[in-house]
Amino acid sequence: MKTSLIIFVLIVWTIPLFAQDISWKPEESMATGPVNLFHSTIAVNLPTAETLKQNEFEYEISHRFIKTVDANKAYFGIDGPATIRMALSYAITNDLMITYGRSNQDDNIDFRVKYKAYQFAHKTFPLLIALQAGGAWNTEVYEPITNEARDLTDTKNFQYYGQAIFNTMIVNKVGIGMVPSYLYNSHIYSDDPEYSFTMGGYIQYYLSAMFSFYVETNATVTGWRQDYNPIAIGIEIETGGHFFKIFVGNSHVMNPSQYLAGGDLNIKDGEWRLGFDITRILKFW
Amino acid sequence: MKIFYILIFSVLTLVSGEEYHVDKSAKNEVKFISDAPIENFEGVTDQIDGYLYHEDDSLTTKSQLYFEVNLNTLDTGIGLRNRHMRDNYLHTDKYPTTYYKGKIIKAEKIDADSINVISEGTIFIHGVEKPIKVKAKMFHKEDRYHIHCNFNVKLSDFNIEIPSIMFYKINENMDLQLDFYIKLFKKN
Repeated sequence: MKTSLIIFVLIVWTIPLFAQDISWKPEESMATGPVNLFHSTIAVNLPTAETLKQNEFEYEISHRFIKTVDANKAYFGIDGPATIRMALSYAITNDLMITYGRSNQDDNIDFRVKYKAYQFAHKTFPLLIALQAGGAWNTEVYEPITNEARDLTDTKNFQYYGQAIFNTMIVNKVGIGMVPSYLYNSHIYSDDPEYSFTMGGYIQYYLSAMFSFYVETNATVTGWRQDYNPIAIGIEIETGGHFFKIFVGNSHVMNPSQYLAGGDLNIKDGEWRLGFDITRILKFW
Repeated sequence: MKIFYILIFSVLTLVSGEEYHVDKSAKNEVKFISDAPIENFEGVTDQIDGYLYHEDDSLTTKSQLYFEVNLNTLDTGIGLRNRHMRDNYLHTDKYPTTYYKGKIIKAEKIDADSINVISEGTIFIHGVEKPIKVKAKMFHKEDRYHIHCNFNVKLSDFNIEIPSIMFYKINENMDLQLDFYIKLFKKN
């Protein structure tokens, strides 16, 4: 009986030592959010690999002033005229978004689909890969010599393109994008369909949470090109769901099927024009 | 000898504690809300984990609690703003979680299933730990508690830069609203 009592006392005495042995352990692999590198879905004209979140909308209005910044009495070209693009995007899923846009250049109607295909979360070299494909319908085209309006459904009015988008971010400040693109019927006035294979690229330096600088260019590797490879240099201001991009460039067009075909100004001669993109992310439910 | 075993069993029953873990299959929600001109800033996640331990029905005896929130999953409602929030303000690469650890110091039954509790502990956000008291409501149902609480933190206390929306700074007092479930953990 005495032994039992000692055992009992010992057990009672040691119980508190074990009573608070917590079983809960933190999970070894913690869930991570999606890889987001660039803040915006577009650089200037070229796409980034970013997509909107499911059910988000994005409205875009963009201008490219036709007159150059040094044009006489044109207030840096802002007096106009301008090429204007408006577009609305919608995310079907977190990785898939569609965009419908329209430009007053040849009344070009653009429809495109972007799919975020791959993401690799890495501290030094994160990677996002997206694929984009689209088609454009030029709905107001006049033949160059006769100036006659071309039939709306003429096959030469339709253009198609595909793009692969590779994005990375180094030192958490410098976003880098490479965008190889293929454009079918890049010259809508040509008798036979032309094509263009281009290699686009952009670098964006995030100076702060709100401000960033970027340069974007798109070099034609093979196929038809307008006079020059387009280039744009500017600043992006981000406030909440708004992006304001103001820049100078040598192209006056914005819709992908037009931009991929090249620019018209020679920057070596100091010919630049102003442009801006404004986008707003909207969520209704 | 029988009496001895009965005694042992009784003592073990009396002192063995109950451990509750966050029920990840439940609809948990952690919200960070701040007033801002034009639109409120809100971050939401369901990635909360942790435990509550106590040794009798009062919840206060030998009470321990630890809850952590994975900030990498914080959703601000606009996908492209999430990275911005993680990288520029919360620095989740360095501080992926925020946690609250402490103990329940007061538990007051409101009715058969509801309890008002006050806990005391420390909250860790953005590399800074601060003492805090949190009031919560706990609703008991079968082997689960539904916990609801909200409290306020000042971003500058945790060395967090005040984010801007549309050029206006958001309110630096951020309201944290937690609504989650814990479930009795049964040891095998």
